[in-house]
Amino acid sequence: MNGAIHGARRLRAASAGNGVLGVLIVLLIGLTLGMGQLEPLFRALFPDLGNPLYARDSFLNLMLAHIGLVLMSSLISVTIGVAAGLFVTRPVGREFEPMVSSLAAIGQTFPPAAVLAIAVPLAGFGFAPTIIALSLYGLLPVIQNTIAGLGTVPQTTLEAARGNGMNRWQILRRVELPLAMPVIIAGIRISVIVNIGTATIGSTVGAKSLGTPLIAGLVGNNLAYVIQGALLVGLLAIVTDLLFERLERRYSFGG
Amino acid sequence: MIELQGLTKSYAGTNVVDDVSLTLETGEFGVLIGPSGCGKSTTLKMINRLVPLSGGRIILNGDDVTDLPAEQLRRRIGYAIQSTGLFPHWSVAQNIATVPQLLKWPKSRIDDRVDELMAMFHLDPVEFRHKYPHQLSGGQAQRVGVARALAADPEMLLMDEPFGAVDPLTREVLQAELKRVHQQTGKTIVFVTHDMDEALQLATRIALLNGGRLVQYDRPIEMMVKPADDFVREFIGQADLGLKLLSRRWVHQYQRAPSLEHHATLPGLDHCWQLDDAGRPVALEGARLDDDHGVTPVKAEWTAKPEMSLKEALSRMVWYRVMVLPVVDDAGKLIGEIGMQGIMGIQAEAEGRVS
Repeated sequence: MNGAIHGARRLRAASAGNGVLGVLIVLLIGLTLGMGQLEPLFRALFPDLGNPLYARDSFLNLMLAHIGLVLMSSLISVTIGVAAGLFVTRPVGREFEPMVSSLAAIGQTFPPAAVLAIAVPLAGFGFAPTIIALSLYGLLPVIQNTIAGLGTVPQTTLEAARGNGMNRWQILRRVELPLAMPVIIAGIRISVIVNIGTATIGSTVGAKSLGTPLIAGLVGNNLAYVIQGALLVGLLAIVTDLLFERLERRYSFGG
Repeated sequence: MIELQGLTKSYAGTNVVDDVSLTLETGEFGVLIGPSGCGKSTTLKMINRLVPLSGGRIILNGDDVTDLPAEQLRRRIGYAIQSTGLFPHWSVAQNIATVPQLLKWPKSRIDDRVDELMAMFHLDPVEFRHKYPHQLSGGQAQRVGVARALAADPEMLLMDEPFGAVDPLTREVLQAELKRVHQQTGKTIVFVTHDMDEALQLATRIALLNGGRLVQYDRPIEMMVKPADDFVREFIGQADLGLKLLSRRWVHQYQRAPSLEHHATLPGLDHCWQLDDAGRPVALEGARLDDDHGVTPVKAEWTAKPEMSLKEALSRMVWYRVMVLPVVDDAGKLIGEIGMQGIMGIQAEAEGRVS
């Protein structure tokens, strides 16, 4: 009875969430494809600017480049982060845990701009140094949450898995990873959301992204450009965050 | 059959299990018991090699357990621990199917086996198959844990304080159920507990450990009437030893033919049962503590069943103030009676054994 009420309430909350998500997705796509339609609005808002609409590249191109940067760097962060988290929670890697944790923490404390500055002489301008900086920056939450998530698996559950004859690989795949998944996904969520924002500074070293109009606006004192870039980055981050929320909910079970 | 030969486990130079040797025949219910830190749990976990052996050998049905790959060994031995050992992300059916899945049984066989086990533990498959552990009561979760341990029809069952986390009432029900399942399946069971009443209730053999050493390995009654030393005597507890003995004796062993007419030969204990047409006891004439000649209507609460322990029979006599209980079958028909003399008889027998 109580459970049913609770379930219904959750269902209603979820469907309300669906509505918000739907509206935001439509807004994101609409603005990406049709920013040009808003030229009269920006002209009215910024009458002093000769060129109130960023037009050196299409917003679709910028959006796709931005998503590409984030996808690529997050893929690297997640692969390395989950692998490192798994390694230091296995018997063979346990002694490396403090080292890996502090390395990841150091990666987080470096401002991404500083990492960019170091990466440029090594990897040149453009895409590559941005990917390096973003991957490093996104590593910590993934490693931390992988370790924390695996740490939440109760000792008795692991003992039951061993006692029932599962080998190490089966314990990892059937018991540890599924139980740690909500926490690991939460870590990936933080990493991706942070990188969506941070990817904008890649434009300072020549990587095309939604930061390109932003930086151009800042350099050229064009507030309209800044708003156009920031609006899309913000929307992208919110939509992604809501999508992750639903993913987390799917992987969590019970209460 | 399982044999432990000179089993030893040392951590940092101390033997937590020290030269333990015992043999448990197939179908027996062995209980490892002792104060905390006595090495009972470690001994159990060496059998399925969750804890590696430091010395000695374990022979399971002729095979040295260290000769087998650990995973393969564990799939031959059921393992049940406290209810928290259930996989929280798996349904009841998935939990029970753990070992059959690892053994790659075909799906239809797994489904049949899960249904069979749920029936054995009185869990309605329609209601419980798809529930998750957090939706179960402590008793239900524990039943699922034991069902999981039995799923692949293992050669033996290891149980590590499985009823430690449930309330006393549920524990009694689970103990009775486990006893029934043991009789039904004839599985060899090794069971760890620190509760002597639980051991006396379930065991056919008790191994009492202290400081890693085996102090006494005996049948429950022998352990009570012939304790090896003061430690055993103290651990069993002397205050209610008589009641503990009664808890290991059954009505069917001591019942006699019912008295259907009055006999004057036993002054003060003369009594007679009144029956209805179906042969069910209706009233007891005489044999009340406070009234020798009165007629007491029989209530279901103070009838005895053949499989009831003498302890429970005595308890009913005391509570309902009668000197004799009717023994009835499942249909309620009078098949015998159990009197105070029958219960006292075993006391004399126990004392006879000691001397």
